[in-house]
Amino acid sequence: MKRLKNLASLLTRPRPPVGTTPADVVHRENKWRLLRYRPDPGRAQKLQTPVLLVPSLINRHYVMDLLPGKSMAQDLVAAGHDVYCIDWGTPGDEDRFVDFDEVCDRYLGRAIRHVARTSPRNKTHVLGYCLGGTLATIHTAARPEHVASLFLLAAPVSFTDEGALAAWTRSPQFNVGSIVQGFGNVPWQLMQSAFHMLRPTLTMAKAVGVIDRAANDEFLDGFLALETWGNDNVAFPGECYRQYIEQLYRGDALMQGTFSLSGIPARLENIECPVTSVVFEHDNIVPWQSAAALVDRVSSKDKVLLKLPGGHVGAVVSKAAQKNLWPKMSAFWAERDDAAPEPKRAPPPAPSAPRQKRPARAAKPSRPKSKASATG
Amino acid sequence: MIWDLWKKAFYAWEDTTAKYLETWMKSPLLLGPSGLMLGGAMKAKAAYDKAASNWVGNLGLATKRDQERALHVLNQLESRMIDLEERLAELKRKDDGRT
Repeated sequence: MKRLKNLASLLTRPRPPVGTTPADVVHRENKWRLLRYRPDPGRAQKLQTPVLLVPSLINRHYVMDLLPGKSMAQDLVAAGHDVYCIDWGTPGDEDRFVDFDEVCDRYLGRAIRHVARTSPRNKTHVLGYCLGGTLATIHTAARPEHVASLFLLAAPVSFTDEGALAAWTRSPQFNVGSIVQGFGNVPWQLMQSAFHMLRPTLTMAKAVGVIDRAANDEFLDGFLALETWGNDNVAFPGECYRQYIEQLYRGDALMQGTFSLSGIPARLENIECPVTSVVFEHDNIVPWQSAAALVDRVSSKDKVLLKLPGGHVGAVVSKAAQKNLWPKMSAFWAERDDAAPEPKRAPPPAPSAPRQKRPARAAKPSRPKSKASATG
Repeated sequence: MIWDLWKKAFYAWEDTTAKYLETWMKSPLLLGPSGLMLGGAMKAKAAYDKAASNWVGNLGLATKRDQERALHVLNQLESRMIDLEERLAELKRKDDGRT
């Protein structure tokens, strides 16, 4: 009876509150913001090294803070971590010219430095989810100096897999240049329909799942929160998308060692900090092999590959994740909280240092960049 | 009981159908024409936007692309200023540490 009542009221049921853990905006630039979750006033902060959460560029950040009592950020704060999160915001039409260097070096680098400055080690732990993990990996490979450790959730680094997304983007008829030229920023609707086509029957399967568990209010709230998040996406900045597809998907530049960030080679072998890569067995967006490839390539002595059951989103935000994955993350950072400072080595120049080519790109953004200059 | 049996059958069907559709989704027979269609539509849209923009430009007004470029450059300038602030703060911290 309750099942029927809940199903009948599904359309009028109030949407559960998402992303409600109290947070302060500590930095704002262009459309992105850096949030700091407020520490629990009743508890002392136990750990010295802060944690920076890097979500995907095309999804809202509140997947890390989904529902009160079911929030990764809230759980980490409660465990004594100082937690920061990037909210990438919604790109405007002018952001079609924002490129990979700008996002991955300038913006992410600024967030990492900002967070690292609050720690006595001048370092921060970085958690990257999906494309956010790829960005964090590339940044760490090029500029490792402020990254204490990398914790990656379904972060693709190898793009030679047999997945549908890789097949579509490798197709010679897929003209990424004309898409960027036509749309500017790549609309989220286009990307979402591509994700739907990865498993066209998923909507029906979800409907059957909802009918089956409709009597459970907690499940329904979680489902609606996840659907709210899943339908609240953002466009991909055009130039950044073009580089992502051409260099990472088609050129597999990360695995080939040819990718560079602001002219600095981003070789996976440069990563020496502790690394944990979590991959999901039934992930049809990021095939697990695509994310697992990182662990074999980094030079870190402290590295772990965790293969868990579940899909791309459910396995990160589900009740099972709250019981198993989130405590593992917290323990990983707690164990590496007071690591001895590493010997200093000369860091590559910060993005603020004078560089040679960038003003030209701002003046003529539509000029196609040659692969040689893009990959260094 | 009936519901459980139906559910089992549904998930079996869903899994088989999804696998079948996945092979189709990766087939060049589908990817080729759909890629061409998308590319063609995008080229047509870009050509229309260019014609509209030329018309506006001929009136002596700033086109959408001009405005986008100007806004992007402003954003970049803001970013460079934050870079400078960051460097100054870093120098100040080092200076304070020395004294």
